[in-house]
Amino acid sequence: MPDFGSFCLLLALATGGWAVVASYNGWRTASGTLIRSAERAIYATWGLVALAVVTLEYCIFTDRFDLEYVASYSNRTLDARYKFAALWAGQSGSILFWLFILVCYAAIVVVLNRRRNRPLMPLVITTFGVVAIFFLLLVNFMSRPFVSLAFTPADGNGMNPQLQNPFMAIHPPCLYLGYVGLTVPFAFAMAALATGRLNDTWFRTTRRFTILSWFFLGTGIVLGGWWAYVELGWGGYWAWDPVENASLIPWLTCTAFLHSVMIEERKKMLRVWNLSLVIMSFLLSILGTFITRSGIISSVHSFTKSDIGPLFAGFLGLCIVVSVGLLLHRLPELRSQNRLDSFVSRESTFLFNNLLLVGAAFAILWGTLFPILSEAVRGVKITVGAPFFNEVTVPITLALVTLCGICPVIAWRRATPNKLLNKLMIPLAGMILTTVGLLAAGMRNIFALVSLSLTMFVVVTTIMEFVWGTRARRTATGEATGRAFLSLVDRNKRRYGGFIVHLGVMLIIIGIVGSTAFRQEIVATVARGESFSIGRYTLRFEDMERRDLPNFEFQGARLAVFDGGRPVGSLVPGQNFYRAGQDPSTEVDIHHTLREDLYLIMIGFEPQQGRATVKAYLNPLLNWIWIGSAITILGAWYAMLPDLRDRKRQADSRLRELERHAA
Amino acid sequence: MTRPVPKKIIITISLLAAGFAVLFGVGLRGSLVYYLTVSEFLERRAEDLGDNFRVNGNVLEGSIERTPGAIGARFIATDGAHRLPVVYAKETPDTFVDGSEIVVEGQLGPDGVFVAHTLMAKCPSKYEAQNRESDYKAPATSAGPAGQDPASR
Repeated sequence: MPDFGSFCLLLALATGGWAVVASYNGWRTASGTLIRSAERAIYATWGLVALAVVTLEYCIFTDRFDLEYVASYSNRTLDARYKFAALWAGQSGSILFWLFILVCYAAIVVVLNRRRNRPLMPLVITTFGVVAIFFLLLVNFMSRPFVSLAFTPADGNGMNPQLQNPFMAIHPPCLYLGYVGLTVPFAFAMAALATGRLNDTWFRTTRRFTILSWFFLGTGIVLGGWWAYVELGWGGYWAWDPVENASLIPWLTCTAFLHSVMIEERKKMLRVWNLSLVIMSFLLSILGTFITRSGIISSVHSFTKSDIGPLFAGFLGLCIVVSVGLLLHRLPELRSQNRLDSFVSRESTFLFNNLLLVGAAFAILWGTLFPILSEAVRGVKITVGAPFFNEVTVPITLALVTLCGICPVIAWRRATPNKLLNKLMIPLAGMILTTVGLLAAGMRNIFALVSLSLTMFVVVTTIMEFVWGTRARRTATGEATGRAFLSLVDRNKRRYGGFIVHLGVMLIIIGIVGSTAFRQEIVATVARGESFSIGRYTLRFEDMERRDLPNFEFQGARLAVFDGGRPVGSLVPGQNFYRAGQDPSTEVDIHHTLREDLYLIMIGFEPQQGRATVKAYLNPLLNWIWIGSAITILGAWYAMLPDLRDRKRQADSRLRELERHAA
Repeated sequence: MTRPVPKKIIITISLLAAGFAVLFGVGLRGSLVYYLTVSEFLERRAEDLGDNFRVNGNVLEGSIERTPGAIGARFIATDGAHRLPVVYAKETPDTFVDGSEIVVEGQLGPDGVFVAHTLMAKCPSKYEAQNRESDYKAPATSAGPAGQDPASR
């Protein structure tokens, strides 16, 4: 069975190679036969990699502990869900998984474009093929999933209990779908540059894929934060760890790209910028996975080095050389005739939005790579701590929030200050009311006051967009308000989906501000019956609690919780002691409300004195982060739905293409 | 025919760039921390490298001491060649066990004990080291950094 898997991967390397050769030569010689053969090679590669994945999963599910990978990451009693997730638990399996997602995307793109984008597709296939070959080389020679052990152990090591959590199980697939998805616009950008077809087809046709990648990356990041919060038990959700940063940086450049394409669409400007952003996002996604796996930067996720680093570096280098080379080659044709009309215009807010996002991405990248750079230059590793990242990203975020509020309201080309101020009246009033209200409620924290006021400014602006749009439509078509609203958002899914995303992001920011600026913590050692308090809550230690489960025994401290005197139930933070001998894990318990989270960690218990040591955090507004994330997700989905206007535009352009061919 | 970029845009971009540079400089200054192995740290201790350090090493087997009722622990960090006693006063992560790979951040106290305000212990699973021949560790042996080590504890 494992040999079959290895054979499939070797064969996939061959079909992948043929896809590259056939598509490239098919393009050079304009041979339809070769191009069709390349398409079939992509399908074949997909099939072979899929077979390899199925084989590995089969080996995991049939407890083939003679395979090193299965013995390392699975065991007999592992829950079926996590056996499935064991596919990506280790290095080689996760590379195979990345490869699988890549060929899935490639096959889908080829299928969707069977009769479209014919001038671009051959080189799109070439690009996909080259990337696939890199991962195929890794999985065939450097990091093989189907390696056998010299003996067959009776049982495997099993999966670390902290990873046996539903969110942790889907966090890598989510991130990979995001990272790998960035290959799609990259491939089209490469094809556009190489063929000289530099109009907006390449990004229009990949727009949904780009939003999809952005969505998956963002969701993966949030899932990671949620997992860190509930499972790791240090009370926080983001640590500016290099591996965390590696996922955030391409997300930022992708966000910038999603905005700046709108300018290219309208004004045919910023073409070089957009191509650079797409190339950068792709390169950053490869860099991201490189940082995570190679261990060149110390992180809680990986300390020690692995030997696939140099190969990744080589591949990155190749990609940089080719993409920058192509870009420079086409630079003269990409120079746009148009210029920015005015400083006060929607175009300029988009431009500043991009500068801020890319600036933040660059800052985080710099801080993350600093140890490597300092080692190269000064021979000693110097790391950059969390304060740097916070100090840099907070002002940038606040500036972005402000733009979020101004941009939808400001006109294209040239805005008249009077009209602008008129539209901003209500949001500004909302902002001032918020500030006054918060001050009156006793808030004195400047950072919080500014952040919350600005986010409220954006929330009001965004809601007003819905209101003004509905009103305008009602006036124009005479429809009733309800109907006008529905047809408004139906016909402009991207615009209003985007506004929903903005609202979601504002909620996330409110959650971050609350849980950062106003967090409280306390450590208390209490005997049975004793209480301590934090914020409005009083906690009374009742007793130790013990639960017996098949894989582990749970021991925890039961504390009765009182919200200002009113009982609200009990929390039982504790630890799991595993029967298979793995190290015990901390299991926190949390009381979630919209207003705040009461987060408890059991530090220790003294049996003789009957005292428990408990650490409690109060995290105000923290749940708004998850609520805001959910709203952002809904907004992104809505924006990806097909649009009547888009379909009409597609039909029109297809008609024109047919006419051109006929002529 | 191309029109020149409005002067205000250029000024704003320059201001933004300057702002970035300032943010960077200020942020970096406060946050740079040397990252050294135990041996490197002990060698350089005499030099005046500033306050905060990150030291990377492994937990010496059997060296973890905890006081019942109190949080934190004392232990000895080693990189195989040298040893450094460390004291940490907050709750330790679950991955902090004998032999696990750790990074501590803090300062050397007057008594030669490293006072850590941050302790990171290697995250479980994920991508194993090059040094080990195989990801799989048979139950009989128990030495080596934590990760997928089973049984015998």
